[in-house]
Amino acid sequence: MSGRALLSRSAPWLACLGLLGVWQIGALILNTDSFPTAWEAVRAIPSILGDKESLINILASLRRMAIGFGVGVIFSIPLGLMMGRSRGVASFCNPLLMVIYPVPKAALMPIIMLWLGVGDVAKTLVIFLGVSLPVIYHSFQGAKAVEEKMLWSGAAMGLSAAQRMTRIVLPAALPEILTGCRTGLVLALITMVTSEMIARQSGAGNILFNALDMGQYDTVYAMIIIIGAMGIGLDAAFENMRGRLVKWSEPGFDIPLSFA
Amino acid sequence: MKLVPSRSEVEPKVAPPRQPAAVMIEIDRVSQVFRTSGRQDHLALSEISLTIEDGAFVSILGPSGCGKSTLLYIVGGFVSPTAGVARVKGRAITGPGPDRGPVFQEFALFPWKSVLGNVMYGPRQQGVRPVEAEAQSRALIEMVGLKGFEHFYPKELSGGMKQRVALARTLAYHPAVLLMDEPFGALDAHTRTRLQNDLLNIWERDRKTVLFVTHSVEEAVYLSDKVVVMTRSPGRIKEIIDIDLPRPRRRTELLLDPRYQKYVVDIERMFDDTAEDELRP
Repeated sequence: MSGRALLSRSAPWLACLGLLGVWQIGALILNTDSFPTAWEAVRAIPSILGDKESLINILASLRRMAIGFGVGVIFSIPLGLMMGRSRGVASFCNPLLMVIYPVPKAALMPIIMLWLGVGDVAKTLVIFLGVSLPVIYHSFQGAKAVEEKMLWSGAAMGLSAAQRMTRIVLPAALPEILTGCRTGLVLALITMVTSEMIARQSGAGNILFNALDMGQYDTVYAMIIIIGAMGIGLDAAFENMRGRLVKWSEPGFDIPLSFA
Repeated sequence: MKLVPSRSEVEPKVAPPRQPAAVMIEIDRVSQVFRTSGRQDHLALSEISLTIEDGAFVSILGPSGCGKSTLLYIVGGFVSPTAGVARVKGRAITGPGPDRGPVFQEFALFPWKSVLGNVMYGPRQQGVRPVEAEAQSRALIEMVGLKGFEHFYPKELSGGMKQRVALARTLAYHPAVLLMDEPFGALDAHTRTRLQNDLLNIWERDRKTVLFVTHSVEEAVYLSDKVVVMTRSPGRIKEIIDIDLPRPRRRTELLLDPRYQKYVVDIERMFDDTAEDELRP
């Protein structure tokens, strides 16, 4: 591997180390209790991950996120594709989605809690809502952009309307769909934490805000690092999968912020 | 050397007796109106009637906007005519079907499939077993000159190569009629000439019915048995010219042939007349 290639491969790691370095220096200069140094925060990580209670909380968060993301994707892709191929479905659904889109999903949390309580269902529902909109939107755009003549070619081969949807529109729109899923994945993580911030019962967000209440700032920042690392890890895993699924697609889809 | 299994080898049961002058496509007083928002409706095709015999290579020639592609889409079943009826083998066309195979200017390949995957798509859809479909498809890929590119994705191919794949993909499901919508329109002159020659060579083998839309007079005369000249606004047939040139045609010989030159010049004059018509109030 040449020096240049080595440098570009290690760039994401160097960026993270650089951030921690700036943090360390900044915290040493400011020297306040509410802003621990990077080293103090990193040092608190093993005790969180070693604690069974915390681990159960974090795994519960991830489970809700996985369910919310999975159900969101399964629901949103067909809806978005149908909207993209049918003017009627699009003009029916578009205004509904445009009303929901700008509302911060966490802001719905208190209402949802009134109906469904503070348990898993309410939080998973909020994650689902957060994931759905970008996935619907990108699936819609992807399906709309499918070349008419590609569908005609399929029809001439004898593909029915349903087969054209699953065997032409879906794969043709896949690069765009996966771009939506990537945004959805990040939003799932964000809504996961914010939902736990509002409905304090369990989860990674719960650990973070409990520590904040008790003034355990090293734990607060350690949790921020853990959540950030989860984001990076999930995104890298997703990008890895996406790269393999759409390797046939035009180049230019790569967003060079990835550990994959 | 025989590159491709002929149809009778592939499907030994099917051996239709060939009737040279049988009618393949019948277009009967077809009109097409496009509704445009705000402005008045646009009459794209006005009472077009045309009969195409089985095995004929027929070009539809006209200026852009004369509705020639629309006419092709109606035969393909992709567009329903506002009035009139189009028939293939005597049956009214109600939608697309594997008896009419389109080849578009935009190629319309499936970008997520390799060259082989694209060509196999039609046979697989028709229930041909994978092993057979692959063997047939490989032979077709070789016939269109792309041996060695079986596992390339469309994005890795040039325009000319993409159009070769598109042609092979359509031939793979044995349509009775090839519907070619300005297939070489997006290609450079050199590639275009090569594909024209190759198309003629392929066509000479089984003489499928071809409906070929183009705006190039030379292309139409070089390839066709019959050239249908259309005028625009509304799209009408101005004249149908039988191209009485011997086959197989060799481009280099043809270019020196006074009969070829006369066809080209005569048809180009028709367009001059048409242009003047449009200028009149």
